[in-house]
Amino acid sequence: MGDLVQDLRYGLRLLLRNPGFALAAIVSLALGIGANTAIFSVVNTVLLRPLPYPDVDRVMMVWDSNPSRGWDQFAVSPGNYVDWEARQTAFEALVALRTRSLVLTGHDEPERLSGLLATAQFFDLTGTPPVLGRAFTAHDFEAGAEHVVVLTDALWKRRFGGRQDILGSPLTLGDEAYTVIGVLPPQSSLPTGAELLAPLVLTADERQHHGAHYLLAMGRLKSGMTTAAATSAMRDLARQIEAEHKDSNTGWTVRLVPIYEAVVGGIRPALLVLALAVGVVLLIACANVANLLLARAATRRGEIAVRAALGAGRGRLIRQLLTESLLLSLCGGAFGLLLGTWAVDLIKTLQPGTLPRAQSLAVDGRVLLFTLGVSIVTGLLFGAAPGVLLSRASLQGTLQQVGRGVRGRLSQRMRGLLVAAQVAMSLVLLVAAGLQIRSLARLLTVDPGFDPANVLTFKIALPDRRYPDDARQAAFYERALADLKTLPGVVSAAAVTSVPISDDDLIFSFTVEGRPPAPPEEERSANWYAVSPDYFGTLRIPLVRGRLFTDADAAATPRVALINETMARRIFPGQDPLGQRLRMGVDGQVVREIVGVVGDVRHYGLDQPVTMQMYEPCAQRPWSAMTLLLRVAARPDTLAPAARRAVLAIDPGQPVSEVRTLQAILDLSTAQRRFTLVLLALFALVALLLASVGLYGVVAYSVTQRTHEIGVRMALGAQRGEILALVLWQGMGMTLWGVLAGLVGATALARVMSGLLFGVSARDPLTFAATVVILTCVALGATYVPARRATRVEPTSALRYE
Amino acid sequence: MIRLVHVEKAYGHGAARTFVLRRVDLEVRAGEFVSIMGPSGAGKSTLLHVLGMLDGDFTGEYHFLDQAVHAMRPKERADLNRKHVGFVFQSYHLIDDLTVYENLEVPLQYRNVARKERQALVADTLDRFGIVAKKDLYPSQLSGGQQQLVGVARAVIGKPHLILADEPTGNLHSDQGREIMELFRRLNDAGTTIVQVTHSEQNATYGHRIVRLRDGWVERAAPAATAASAPAAGAAAAGPSPSGGSAAAETH
Amino acid sequence: MSQTATESLIRLDGVTKVFYTDEVETHALSNIKLEVRKGEYLAIAGPSGCGKSTLLSLLGLLDAPTSGSYQLDGKPVAGLTPADRARIRNREIGFIFQSFNLIGDLSVIENVELPLTYRGMKPAERRKRAQEALERVGMGHRAKHLPSQLSGGQQQRVAVARAVAGRPLILLADEPTGNLDSKSGEAVMDLLRELHRDGATLCMVTHDPRYARHADRSVHLFDGRVVDEVSAAAGSDH
Repeated sequence: MGDLVQDLRYGLRLLLRNPGFALAAIVSLALGIGANTAIFSVVNTVLLRPLPYPDVDRVMMVWDSNPSRGWDQFAVSPGNYVDWEARQTAFEALVALRTRSLVLTGHDEPERLSGLLATAQFFDLTGTPPVLGRAFTAHDFEAGAEHVVVLTDALWKRRFGGRQDILGSPLTLGDEAYTVIGVLPPQSSLPTGAELLAPLVLTADERQHHGAHYLLAMGRLKSGMTTAAATSAMRDLARQIEAEHKDSNTGWTVRLVPIYEAVVGGIRPALLVLALAVGVVLLIACANVANLLLARAATRRGEIAVRAALGAGRGRLIRQLLTESLLLSLCGGAFGLLLGTWAVDLIKTLQPGTLPRAQSLAVDGRVLLFTLGVSIVTGLLFGAAPGVLLSRASLQGTLQQVGRGVRGRLSQRMRGLLVAAQVAMSLVLLVAAGLQIRSLARLLTVDPGFDPANVLTFKIALPDRRYPDDARQAAFYERALADLKTLPGVVSAAAVTSVPISDDDLIFSFTVEGRPPAPPEEERSANWYAVSPDYFGTLRIPLVRGRLFTDADAAATPRVALINETMARRIFPGQDPLGQRLRMGVDGQVVREIVGVVGDVRHYGLDQPVTMQMYEPCAQRPWSAMTLLLRVAARPDTLAPAARRAVLAIDPGQPVSEVRTLQAILDLSTAQRRFTLVLLALFALVALLLASVGLYGVVAYSVTQRTHEIGVRMALGAQRGEILALVLWQGMGMTLWGVLAGLVGATALARVMSGLLFGVSARDPLTFAATVVILTCVALGATYVPARRATRVEPTSALRYE
Repeated sequence: MIRLVHVEKAYGHGAARTFVLRRVDLEVRAGEFVSIMGPSGAGKSTLLHVLGMLDGDFTGEYHFLDQAVHAMRPKERADLNRKHVGFVFQSYHLIDDLTVYENLEVPLQYRNVARKERQALVADTLDRFGIVAKKDLYPSQLSGGQQQLVGVARAVIGKPHLILADEPTGNLHSDQGREIMELFRRLNDAGTTIVQVTHSEQNATYGHRIVRLRDGWVERAAPAATAASAPAAGAAAAGPSPSGGSAAAETH
Repeated sequence: MSQTATESLIRLDGVTKVFYTDEVETHALSNIKLEVRKGEYLAIAGPSGCGKSTLLSLLGLLDAPTSGSYQLDGKPVAGLTPADRARIRNREIGFIFQSFNLIGDLSVIENVELPLTYRGMKPAERRKRAQEALERVGMGHRAKHLPSQLSGGQQQRVAVARAVAGRPLILLADEPTGNLDSKSGEAVMDLLRELHRDGATLCMVTHDPRYARHADRSVHLFDGRVVDEVSAAAGSDH
């Protein structure tokens, strides 16, 4: 025990007396371990920590699916759901869900809450019934039953102060009276992030409807049922339904997706790339420490030999060296943990909201264990090798330099190899980051089809009870637009059913008048929008042909429509679309005449292809939920309070929600990519830094090792420039090998990365070339410092002998 | 105490095989003070390492206190070294990052001496060598002579029966060297057996006799007194070296 | 070869060298006066630590004296730039070291070519000169070997070839036999004597009095001072 303390004290003193060495090793390890701790925390939270459902692997999302039309996971039609519920054999619980935003009134200012309607088996599915109050009963789902609602813990605490007497109290939601019957446990959350849960009651009409898809469905597999078996059973069922409802169900089948997959599937490729990246960073860090230890081992050969001569046994020596390297790696681990915790906070603020469960991101016991493990393993691994090497050397009784030349060169070569590997690995990371940067740059040059600057958007959803018919809905929006236009700073105001670059969409099938009806599997459909006349002017979507909507296109005038260029090209190749007539959507009897063609808009994001789009005037086809858009002179966000007041002035029970600028919506669509990019670039920089420290260390060490040789060369008349070139070439040689290996590695990486790229080849020559240039310059810098030192070697060292 | 029979050692392999020690027979009795001399490369240091049980890679027999060292496993050899041998090196070989006090402590740690006893021994030795004032200094803060003083102190602190010294004054000025040799004489008078390697005839006179090595062969064991006064013409005749004729040992 | 000329190649006057380390001041050389004439063979002898190597490094322009003057071939060397000093080392001085100092990664002939390379000589010519030098020391057949494949004596012969390949004004040898067994040592000494007979100026440091007697003249150093000077015409064996 006393010996251990002695070893520790000596190890500590060595670190303190070689602060450069200690700093390089500890910083290397801290960076490597810190990056891993941070990313492991994310992986741990997002991928490893179970979702809040018992037996989560049995919980599935169930989708309608129409592969021939490119709809892999599509919302479920109520008719299909009702048929499944009655006939399926795969699930022990099957639930249909529908999101419903509900306005809470009667408490302060009206607030729009995100609600979820669910069918009867919901709590059988989740396995987490309310902690307070009761779950739903069959009675709650009967037509005409009293409206009941279950609150999440978060809403309960936020809006009702966690009052126990909330049970049984009335709540006004969307002008209807509800009774609170339960509160969910704190750790459970509702799908889609909803705060309220209410029974979903399908009307008799809906239960027959197979063509309109607007439900979510989830199921819990019977125990012992595999996903494959369940999929096969559900597909059999889908074929039966297809046979029964040819007109609506031709081409439709079912797709099952494990809930885990649904939640984290989107983020996983990015996380895998990041995990790979930090793994590489740690490897580079370890190579650095190994290099440092090897270099030090060589300089300590004398000391170790003396200790052996004074009677130290081999085990004793190895123990001392291991104590030292463990001390080093634990110091590195401690700083790494600090760095990691800090990085986790950074990730939390940096992440764009697309990272599932980001708020529960934390350094927990498992992360601590991981960090400790990584530290100890690196310490043992990279301390043991030089330790054994040294202690063996000591036993050969070499107090002189017998045999030193050969072993010295061997370990020098090994260090060269380590550095080449470091260079190669940082090249791979730099290429990865470079490709991401190029992708983002490409993405940002993509024209969204509209001008996002200086536009404020917010949503309004009119409750059916107070706005039961088209006329009243149209009147509200007409009034709102007129009032909003008068606000100071507002240039123009418009309304649209679903704003571009968002998950909101409405897709209607359509037919062209005068063409024979297409068979159901070839049915064409397009994004559909109802807009106010100023929509195109407000978003600056260009008119290509014909005319835009005007105030004259009213409920009573002939029905008109606009289509985008893509639709014009696809549906009317070589024809004039103007004057053609379309039938669309549910009211398929009505015919609209195409009066104009407008520019394409990228509805689903900059990296997604342009879809076919068709527009109708909202005066002719009113809609209860619309997004309002205000183009303002400057600083759209400052207008939000005024806009909110203007709407409340029309209807005091009508809140606005999701107040955002259009630019923010656009930014959010690239945020995930930016997030990955920032982290990847950070890791690539850390890797570059570590590799250059490694290169510096090896060249600097080799210069001290070669002092004698350099002295000899100077004695023979070498000029300083020649010595400089000698050392630079040595460093550049290692770099060259590393670059070559790195290029091979980066080409292989292309396969992993290609899914994350946009508009740039995974073998983009510009990225590769730029990376090589950057790396070479940094390597040259790292080599230059010790090379300069080499030129200052005293020629007299040629005469010195150890 | 020491008996070597036909000890040989070679480096390298095949044609490049070079012998460092050739059929060395040597006997050192307890209490003797022996000097090993010879030109560089003659095998002096190698012989010292064999004697000190640091080097077990030789052929022939080595008996130390009637134990067969040549038959021992490395660990046993290390134990024997620990128990009986103290080393003094030409370039001191103090551990740079330990203070004088700690340097003296090192051999005791490896002998598993208890802490209390260790403190007592170190304090005692510091006192005996007159270096108490230097105990918290690092080697780099000492002159060469002082460093070697610590080196000798470290060699004797474990109370070894045998001190092996490899050119102990090689890096020192002549008067500093003299002090170290006086110290050796006193240690020897007190009963410690000493074997030193030296280039200096003067230092050799402190010992009882001289063993001369040349190209790995033992030339002759002569009493110190005669070695100092008589030129080594006879030694050359007895030696196996073909070029021995020029081996006159005059310094001025 | 008769040496009537008194043309002095090296002239040291009052040369002193002091080293400062951690508060300790060491006088390595004190007030040295020394002259080496063209074609002469001088030995510098003395025990280890007497200042021999320091003196040699001053002579070889590896280091500069703390005070005193040094004239090489009639020109003072004080005040030369490092580049000039390197050029003189390269062209006028041939070094032979105790531990040979061949560069392990270079073949024998590349080692011999090295000083010529630093002169910017064309590859074909320097290869020819190096080969000649190797033939002269009897190592022509080992040109492609690496130093580690040679015995110590052979390595030192290669080192001698390297020293003479540049046709320097003077050869400086630092204990050239120090790391050799006596037979190889003799062979190297014979080689040096042969070079001397062919006209080379030689200056050798040794602590072995036997070898000192090979020289025309030997200077003894002790604690950094010249204590004795022996003209050994009688001692030489020809």
